[in-house]
Amino acid sequence: MKVLVVEDERALKESILTYLRQEGYVCESADNFRDASLKTSDYSYVCVIVDLTLPGGNGLEIVRQLKENYPDTGIIIISAKNALDDKITGLEVGADDYLTKPFHLSELNARLKSVIRRRNFNGQKVVQAGAIKVFPDAAEASVEDSKLNLTKKEYDLLLYFIANRKRVLTKESIAEHLWGDHVDGLDSLDFVYTHIKNLRRKLQAAGGGDYIQSVYGLGYKFSC
Amino acid sequence: MRILTKTSLYYLLVSFVVFMVGGFSFYKIMQAEIYDEVDDQLFTDKENIIAFIREHDRLPSVTSGISEAIIVREAQAVSPTIEELADTLIFSSYDEELVPFRYLTFTAYQNDKPYEYTILKSLIDFQDLFESTMLAMGWIFLLLLVGLGAVNYLINKYIWRHFYQTLHKVKRYSLSQYKPLQLKSSTTTEFQELNEVLLAMTEKIQSDYYNLKEFTENASHEIQTPLAIVNSKLELFMQSENLTEQQALLVEEMYASTSRLSRLNKSLILLTRIGNREFKEHEEIPLHELIAEQLEQLEEMASMRGLELLPPALEPTRVYMNRGLAEVLVSNLLVNAIRHNYDGGNISVLLRNGELCVRNTGKVLQGPADQLFGRFMSGSDAGGSLGIGLALVKKICDLYNIKPTYSFSGGMHRLCIRFSLQGSS
Repeated sequence: MKVLVVEDERALKESILTYLRQEGYVCESADNFRDASLKTSDYSYVCVIVDLTLPGGNGLEIVRQLKENYPDTGIIIISAKNALDDKITGLEVGADDYLTKPFHLSELNARLKSVIRRRNFNGQKVVQAGAIKVFPDAAEASVEDSKLNLTKKEYDLLLYFIANRKRVLTKESIAEHLWGDHVDGLDSLDFVYTHIKNLRRKLQAAGGGDYIQSVYGLGYKFSC
Repeated sequence: MRILTKTSLYYLLVSFVVFMVGGFSFYKIMQAEIYDEVDDQLFTDKENIIAFIREHDRLPSVTSGISEAIIVREAQAVSPTIEELADTLIFSSYDEELVPFRYLTFTAYQNDKPYEYTILKSLIDFQDLFESTMLAMGWIFLLLLVGLGAVNYLINKYIWRHFYQTLHKVKRYSLSQYKPLQLKSSTTTEFQELNEVLLAMTEKIQSDYYNLKEFTENASHEIQTPLAIVNSKLELFMQSENLTEQQALLVEEMYASTSRLSRLNKSLILLTRIGNREFKEHEEIPLHELIAEQLEQLEEMASMRGLELLPPALEPTRVYMNRGLAEVLVSNLLVNAIRHNYDGGNISVLLRNGELCVRNTGKVLQGPADQLFGRFMSGSDAGGSLGIGLALVKKICDLYNIKPTYSFSGGMHRLCIRFSLQGSS
């Protein structure tokens, strides 16, 4: 699966590329408007991750071009401008998602997978990880064909873990993924712990293994 | 008071004084003139009478002469020659009132025999003249009043119209409208100058504003990007297989700090943007629904802290606000109530008569209550809190001219916001 990363900040671009390559994507990159424009018109990508502020032009223009030439390509906008207008314009023009910098790479990865899944119409409607099956359309999950009785947050958490399998997920990124803006000022990190404890318990009760490991104080790793 | 009303009043005051002084002087001058004339006539009569006696050696017939009455009587020889000029009042049986007269008394001799003559002249004409003059003055004053009113009205309509247009435009001028001030040019020098000064001023302010805005945006961009890089590098670093526990701890602490920094930056940018009045899209918002939504989202957090969410009493209320800001406002109030609480405490939300009150149990406030809405005023128990939530609440309230109130009694904190229901249905 080919993904194009359009980001003018070299260091950030490298981080994204490294993370995504480890996930098994074939990645290309562009760091200015002209390159990005050329690449998007010549090749077809599963998804394009585009920064809005680019040397030589506005990222929104790339989004427009893509919509015209390759309407099936997924688009995720990443921008440091958290101007509400940009977000709205971006989504109106046809981007699938919008992330404000700074973001967690794991979050970007999860969003990317979600976009690809949604775009992949004739593909499987089931996300499988080991013995775990997740049905995004119904927001349900099962282990060894026994249905898991998960709360909304636990389901989101499970999907987030599966999207970032074998990766260390920080408590911060989990909290932000689950609670968004509400993360501020709350003891959300303790809540993350409680949710993980419950999810782990439910997975084991359904016959699954202990998939969630704590990695020192850093966070958690999901492997199955 | 309008400037024209003011000038008119001064003008009228001055006119009144001028008319009073002018009228009085006019009266005095006329009186002097008329007395002069009457006295001349009296003395002419006297000269005529004396000349007649000298020429004809007999007394003239008393009715001759220009005066109203001439009275003659024989005088005592011993009495000295007199000449007296004075005013008097004589009762007129016709008018049935006292009529002012001027008289001259003198002694004339015929064959060395003294006769006392008194010549009388009526002053009634003079009084009539004075009265009609004053009446005319009064009319002139009245006409002037009416004329002034009319002229003022016209001037107001015509000459001052540019001024009022300018005033109107300046009143409605908003920096965040991105529209330069457009003023009609005026032929009146002062107004033209005013327009030019205003234009220059707003242009300067606008460019300063844009610079500031640009700076804010740039700052956000420039800070967010390095933060994003640091965050992403740390995240990659964490994925390394062979981290020791000590290294992991270090990375974790760095990561937590940069996360905090980026949240802080986002909040500060939001504060600035609210201050810049960048949220201009307003709509009617069902506040009760919005609060219910937010409560639902926060319910889990509250229950995890063992807090009891008392059933909220939400009266259907619609306010005219920016949706995003309304969400920030409500969510910060609720988060604040959850955060500054103790395990097993409770929270109640009340929305009634356009007033939203959030009451929660909690420890007594440590600082002064009026600093509650300041930035970075987090209490001692606020581990991990940015202390910016209530500052955001305050800023949003400021934007909508609402005053949040705080009180503490019986172990309950009470934060209330009274919404103006303008535009509600």
